[in-house]
Amino acid sequence: MELLLYTALFAPLVGSLFAALFGASPKTLVTGVVTSLLLGVSLVASTILLVFVITSGQFVHVEMMTWIAAGDLYIPFGFIVDQISVTMMMVVTLVSTVVHVYAIGYMDHDKGFNRFFSWLSAFVFSMMVLVMSDNFAGLFIGWEGVGLCSWGLIGFWYQKESATWAANEAFIMNRIADLGMLIGIFLIYWNTGTLQYHGAFAAMPALENATLVWIGIFLFVGAMGKSAQFPLHTWLADAMEGPTPVSALIHAATMVTAGVYLVIRSHELYALIPNIGLFIASLGAFVAIFAASMALVNRDIKRVIAYSTLSQLGYMFVAAGLGAYWVALFHLMAHAFFKALLFLGAGNVMHAMDSELDPFKMGGLGKKMKVTMIMMTLASVALAGIYPFAGFFSKDLILEAAFVEQHYIIYTVLLVTAGLTAFYSFRIIALIFHGEERYKLFGFHPHEAYKFMLVAMSPLLLLAIIAGSFKLSYFEMVTNLLPAIEYHIHHPLTYWIITLGTQLFVIAAIFFAYKKYMSKSVKVPDGTSAMEKSFFYKLLINQYYIPRFYEEYLIKPYRELSNVFWRHVDQKVVDATVDGIANVIYRTGENSREMQSGNLSTMLKWMVAGLVALLSLAVVFGLATRHSDEIMLILSGLGV
Amino acid sequence: MMEIGLNHYLVLSTILFSIGLVGVMRRKNLLMLFFATEILLNSVNISFAAISHFYGDLTGQMFAFFVIAIAASEVAVGLGLLIVWHKRHNAIDLDLMSTMKG
Amino acid sequence: MLDNILSILVFFPAIAAIFGFAVAKDSIRAYGVAVAFIEFALSLLLWFSFDSSVSGMQFMEMVPLVPSFGINYILGVDGISLFIVILASFFTMIGIASLGETKNVKNMIISLLFLQMTMAGVFVALDAIVFYVFWELSLVPMLYIIGAWGGPLRIYASVKFFLYTFTGSLIMLVGMLFMAYFYYQATGTWSFAFLEWYRLILPETFQLWLFAAFFIGFAIKVPMFPFHTWLPYAHGQAPTIGSVILAAILLKMGTYAFIRLSLPMFPDASVFFMFPIAIIAIIMIIYTAMVAYAQEDIKQVVAYSSISHMGVIILGTFALNVEGITGSVFLMIAHGVVSGALFLLVGVIYDRRHTKMMAEFGGLASVMPRYATIFGIMLMASVGLPLTINFVGEFLSLLGFYQQSHILTLLAGIAIIVGAIYMLAAYKKMFFGEVTNEENRNLPDVNKRELVALVPLVLITVWLGVYPKPLLEPISNSVKSVVQLMHDKAISEEAKKRIPNLMDGVTRVKEAN
Repeated sequence: MELLLYTALFAPLVGSLFAALFGASPKTLVTGVVTSLLLGVSLVASTILLVFVITSGQFVHVEMMTWIAAGDLYIPFGFIVDQISVTMMMVVTLVSTVVHVYAIGYMDHDKGFNRFFSWLSAFVFSMMVLVMSDNFAGLFIGWEGVGLCSWGLIGFWYQKESATWAANEAFIMNRIADLGMLIGIFLIYWNTGTLQYHGAFAAMPALENATLVWIGIFLFVGAMGKSAQFPLHTWLADAMEGPTPVSALIHAATMVTAGVYLVIRSHELYALIPNIGLFIASLGAFVAIFAASMALVNRDIKRVIAYSTLSQLGYMFVAAGLGAYWVALFHLMAHAFFKALLFLGAGNVMHAMDSELDPFKMGGLGKKMKVTMIMMTLASVALAGIYPFAGFFSKDLILEAAFVEQHYIIYTVLLVTAGLTAFYSFRIIALIFHGEERYKLFGFHPHEAYKFMLVAMSPLLLLAIIAGSFKLSYFEMVTNLLPAIEYHIHHPLTYWIITLGTQLFVIAAIFFAYKKYMSKSVKVPDGTSAMEKSFFYKLLINQYYIPRFYEEYLIKPYRELSNVFWRHVDQKVVDATVDGIANVIYRTGENSREMQSGNLSTMLKWMVAGLVALLSLAVVFGLATRHSDEIMLILSGLGV
Repeated sequence: MMEIGLNHYLVLSTILFSIGLVGVMRRKNLLMLFFATEILLNSVNISFAAISHFYGDLTGQMFAFFVIAIAASEVAVGLGLLIVWHKRHNAIDLDLMSTMKG
Repeated sequence: MLDNILSILVFFPAIAAIFGFAVAKDSIRAYGVAVAFIEFALSLLLWFSFDSSVSGMQFMEMVPLVPSFGINYILGVDGISLFIVILASFFTMIGIASLGETKNVKNMIISLLFLQMTMAGVFVALDAIVFYVFWELSLVPMLYIIGAWGGPLRIYASVKFFLYTFTGSLIMLVGMLFMAYFYYQATGTWSFAFLEWYRLILPETFQLWLFAAFFIGFAIKVPMFPFHTWLPYAHGQAPTIGSVILAAILLKMGTYAFIRLSLPMFPDASVFFMFPIAIIAIIMIIYTAMVAYAQEDIKQVVAYSSISHMGVIILGTFALNVEGITGSVFLMIAHGVVSGALFLLVGVIYDRRHTKMMAEFGGLASVMPRYATIFGIMLMASVGLPLTINFVGEFLSLLGFYQQSHILTLLAGIAIIVGAIYMLAAYKKMFFGEVTNEENRNLPDVNKRELVALVPLVLITVWLGVYPKPLLEPISNSVKSVVQLMHDKAISEEAKKRIPNLMDGVTRVKEAN
């Protein structure tokens, strides 16, 4: 069993190092194949471990070696395969293997083919470290590792200014959140004496509530960065600069879910501080609708899908915040499948359309790209939460949980968002695949993707459809660790009204989207239409002007301040003081040089002056010694 | 008739010393400088001798002898140098003798 | 031989340097590398024979020099100084091996060997006068290296470096003399030996003044804000090898001295000054990171980043607990490796283009991919990515100081953010984007000579990031004895509260806030 753990963990690393050997060489197919194979190995190992965990209910726990040992602090490299981590391992390895195979086709003509696979496998390794660690420090290693790899992958096409800017933005924003997480880790160590999950959580009930609140807040700040919760969300949409397989892996299925994973892993902590949980849930609900609103009008298909990810992350945090940890994890899993599928489908479209991203310039592609159309449509159906696809089971559960826990505002927000989700997803589908073939106006020659890429995507499609049926067995497994709260609306009538009502609402939204965007009168918006000039449109398409705000009020002032610090403070004040002191001494020396004028008369005058000075000093001291008692009396009178 | 005590001699010595000091400071003529130096030295001699007499310790008078001897040799050497300088530069103004600048 | 290994380590390079004058110009490189290699091998032998479980001084040697004043030649090494000594010899070796085109290379190598002697001497000296002698002597070869092989403002930079540091050291000397005098008052014998001074418990006011005197000397060397302005000039004007040695080793003298001298001798003063020094450290971290962001010259970026990292080291030192001080010593090693590597990397591009202005570069990643990769790894190490050497040190330092103050640690933790900002911005300016300047298009990638220095540094960065135990263990043990000494000697209530008592079996103190 331990061997399987190590295989699952290190196979991607081996793949990454292997591919790195070819880093500077032109494309060699073997790097793609070997890395994909190794990931497949990891997948197989994870599956076996899954079966083991389900059937035996036991964990697999290893301590590989000591990492840091100083004073009382002891941090090992330790890994654990329990119900939570094995779920994550499955999701990560499955989606990664699919993406790797897909990328062999997608990155076909790219010069950096080998480098890409090196980074991609390294990313998977970091994510595995993140989900398999048995202590907070190991989590942090994986945490920063995925940050690093996403930097490398978002900025993969480093000749593009926008890509490298987005990469830096992602890294720095994540770092801001990482600081919060680091403080949380410090708090945990100094209060519980260990960073191992087992020991720390066991010690937590004994701590003061205030301390627990701070730990919860700080850890959540860390989660906010990785899962792009407001206000650290702008990096996610900008991260679409990276190649589409990167978006599929990192920003749909794995890295962004790390924040949710953290909250789920720390459920024992958050169960003790329900107020923070409520805050997390509220923020999640806000983000859900916030992101959905921005997706309504966006003209970049990847960004729309990115916002939809953001929105779904909000759903996951609502679930986790309300204590429905297993529901959050379930939605995480289902979402990974259909979101990755959506991204990969979008990748096919982009490949066919020469990397064009504006859906208005497409249209009628369904005729040329049947398989992709079917896949993306089905994935969107799953995302919208229509029965019996996976999304229904996971999303609806969240809605139920919110309703049952009597958080009606959150429930309403999520319900509205569900409608919006359906609308914007199918807006894209309709614009791309149906209606007039507007692409002909722009001279594109689309074609379907390579067969093997489509084959690679099919497991995701399958899972997006049937994942719902795993709900029960999943529930049984995962509630060995997580609280087994079942969310049932007791009154059957209420239940049916809510469920059916939601479905109808969503289906109506889908129809509305189709009707609006399939019609022949859809044209490429050029800025003149009334809708484009409206306030709300402008607000949404500019992402509520938040990026502009960050640029104007955070980035620019920081740069200005740095400049001021350098030129005015460091050079003109600090350094000038030093040089000033040196100058004073120099000038004193220059002036004293006058004394050596060589003129005897002057020198004699100086001698006399010195003599007089010394004599007076001698007299003064002599008098002082003689009358020292009276002097002390006067001084003490003065209060010295 | 007033008793001439030690203080009187010391006052005399101080006055002579200040005269000499002023002379050292103000004289621009090298020869005059030597005069002033002599006055300084002799003023000190007076006070040595007077203190020695009033305290009955011969050390002071012996010291005065030393001072006289040294003053004489110093003047001898100094006047010799002065004459050589005068032969070369035809002037003994101190302000012209500043070749040893710092 | 093992009994005198420290003396050999100290004096062998200098004697070899003197003989180096007789070596022919063509063979001087080989001679230099051979000598440095032997030195490094000796330092490895020292490590091999070092007993990690012992916390006190090992390999001690003593030869009386001026017995009537208690000035003796005392050497000794413990976990804290061991690795800096090894690092010094390592850098001398790879520095000499990777020396590029240099005029008067013979003089350069001889200076470097002399410098090696002084560096080894500072870190193993256990007598104040011997310590001071080596401390000051290290300035002379550095002065010469910057002044003779430096850039346009080299005379200004080297003189400024020399005088500034020297002034601080003089104040430190006064402090040392006072300390010796107090020792004489208290015990009736003269002594300048550190180990004997450790046993002296001084009243608080004396501690404060002496701490301040020593502080000036060390603070200028570290360099701490606002005494740091000599560093950008020194780095900017120095040749590559000068910057490498300066950043990797010489800066550590200051922080090492804090742990060796200030903390054990003046525990109450250390606690008293802890918060002001922490504030200065935080200013160092954030302010210099922002200044680094505004720089246009890549070497200055790295220079200011050095000061920023020293801020974390100081913070770790003044955490006054085992985790913090261990972290700061480890970070000293880490910073030496990473900064040294960064300066070598800057040297690589300077050798090709004779400019360090980032605006002249751009798009280098496609022209020099191996260089970009190594630079990227070092960049990530500098930023403190876990599994690199810097993270271990930073994590421990911040973790340690967290016990003393939550808010200040949060502020200091901003280091990871601002560090990422300036480093990533600089990397982007140099490596990403299109190749805009024609001169950059055909630059050769890193050659073997440069790789000889860079590859070991990369390997160490990753190896010690993943498995820091071989270093952490001896450091931690020696630090434990320092902290215990501090706790036992402390006379004020505040100090007893803030310095943990290891005898309790825990290194944690009840929340001091």
